[in-house]
Amino acid sequence: MEEESMITVENLSFSYTKTPFISGMSFSVSKGEIFGFLGPSGAGKSTLQKILMGMLRTYQGSCLVNGTECKNRTKHFYEEIGVDFEFSTMYEKLTAKENLRFFSSLYEKKPHSADELLKMVGLERDADKRVADYSKGMKSRLNFIKALLHDPLLLCLDEPTSGLDPTNSRVMKNVILEEKARGKTILLTTHNMQDAAELCDREAFIVNGKICALDSPHHLIMSKGAAAVTYTWLENGEQSASCPLGQVSSDERLKSLIAENRLRSIHSSEPTLNDIFMDITGRTLL
Amino acid sequence: MLFVSCLAPILAGIFFRFAIPLLETTLTNCFQVEAALSTYYKLIDILFAMLTPDMFCFVSAMVALEERDEKTVAYLFITPLGKTGYLFARLGVPSAIAFLATVILLPVFKLTPLSAMSILLLAAGGTLQGMIASLLILAVSSNKLEGMAVAKLSGLVILGAAVPFFVRSNVQYLVSPLPSFWIGKAVLENRMPDMLPAFGLSVGWICVLLKWYLRPR
Repeated sequence: MEEESMITVENLSFSYTKTPFISGMSFSVSKGEIFGFLGPSGAGKSTLQKILMGMLRTYQGSCLVNGTECKNRTKHFYEEIGVDFEFSTMYEKLTAKENLRFFSSLYEKKPHSADELLKMVGLERDADKRVADYSKGMKSRLNFIKALLHDPLLLCLDEPTSGLDPTNSRVMKNVILEEKARGKTILLTTHNMQDAAELCDREAFIVNGKICALDSPHHLIMSKGAAAVTYTWLENGEQSASCPLGQVSSDERLKSLIAENRLRSIHSSEPTLNDIFMDITGRTLL
Repeated sequence: MLFVSCLAPILAGIFFRFAIPLLETTLTNCFQVEAALSTYYKLIDILFAMLTPDMFCFVSAMVALEERDEKTVAYLFITPLGKTGYLFARLGVPSAIAFLATVILLPVFKLTPLSAMSILLLAAGGTLQGMIASLLILAVSSNKLEGMAVAKLSGLVILGAAVPFFVRSNVQYLVSPLPSFWIGKAVLENRMPDMLPAFGLSVGWICVLLKWYLRPR
């Protein structure tokens, strides 16, 4: 049975000028899935997000989010969407708590406890501090929990771990995974391949307004040059050889080296998502 | 600071109501003339009717620009508040308050006899000019600093009202695209229905500026 979709995009095209910026894009995101958008700056990720958020409505094709065509969205559309922009969207002169209280008042749904959310990302001691006095990382965490305030079904996260130290980055990633476990659908836009590989169920590589590849991180890696096994041994100096992981049993030299206990080293290596991205698109992410 | 701006109409009203007649007496005695400033009392009433909404809308535009600087507005647009709710809060509510304030303050500080209908029409016309000034600031400027500069220029929007008082020939119609021109003309000639073009033009200006403000950025 087909999984229920939170987002269904069919033949989506959009342009700011006469030149198409996004063209012929089709994909769907299932409920409870973490879906990543990867691509270099200017590839069309932000524009796509703006369309999905109902901010750009002059597109062609179809773009259904939670059963609503984005160009026909009403104010209730936003009751089930939480957005974490890459930049801070807080009132700098207000405290963290005042900000959360104000933004939760915009929704009809009963909000999460601000204290609990602040505690979840380690900001409970700074709850009454003005946002202007926050560091970049603190603002980033506060921005993130603002998206969770009204307990939305769909979360759009833009570089959620940007500017965070490894500990806080881990905390954020854990919260994202907890939200997924609670059945939330999450759209993740990032340049960080490690985050994408760790968090996403599926990823779309976007370049020049088109999806170049769409699959799970594991399949993307495996589809482009599967893991290889590299081994070394001594024979007139150190020698090395490689064979695909799936063919080790037919590598006679490896078999005999193992039988004779002559291996000096052996390790497997998979291409990274970055390698795959470069391979598919011919471009780097930055 | 912005709150003090909202009190400016009261200070200006006190000046207009009490200092200007005093100045008139002093000038007429000094220069032995029948009238000095009293010729322009109607104009002063019009400017006062526009000053109150202008101040309220200026304050609101500054708040909106600060929200743009802090990027809060980007978030507010994707909440149930939306663009419509945001514009209502930042433009509609201050305009309604400005209209009420003008209806209350104008009878207190007016220098010429004005009927209740004239006061209502002047307050409505003034409020529309305030909305135009506010939208002009929001549409043209991309941050608070630019907004301060545009706010000064937006004062020109209300200066059209002075033209019929000083230019009697048909040359005055050069500023006829400004709604305030028709407000000035209607009050000067004591023909309040002549204010109708001001309302039509104001709606046109507001529609154009709204479209400009809401353009994709």
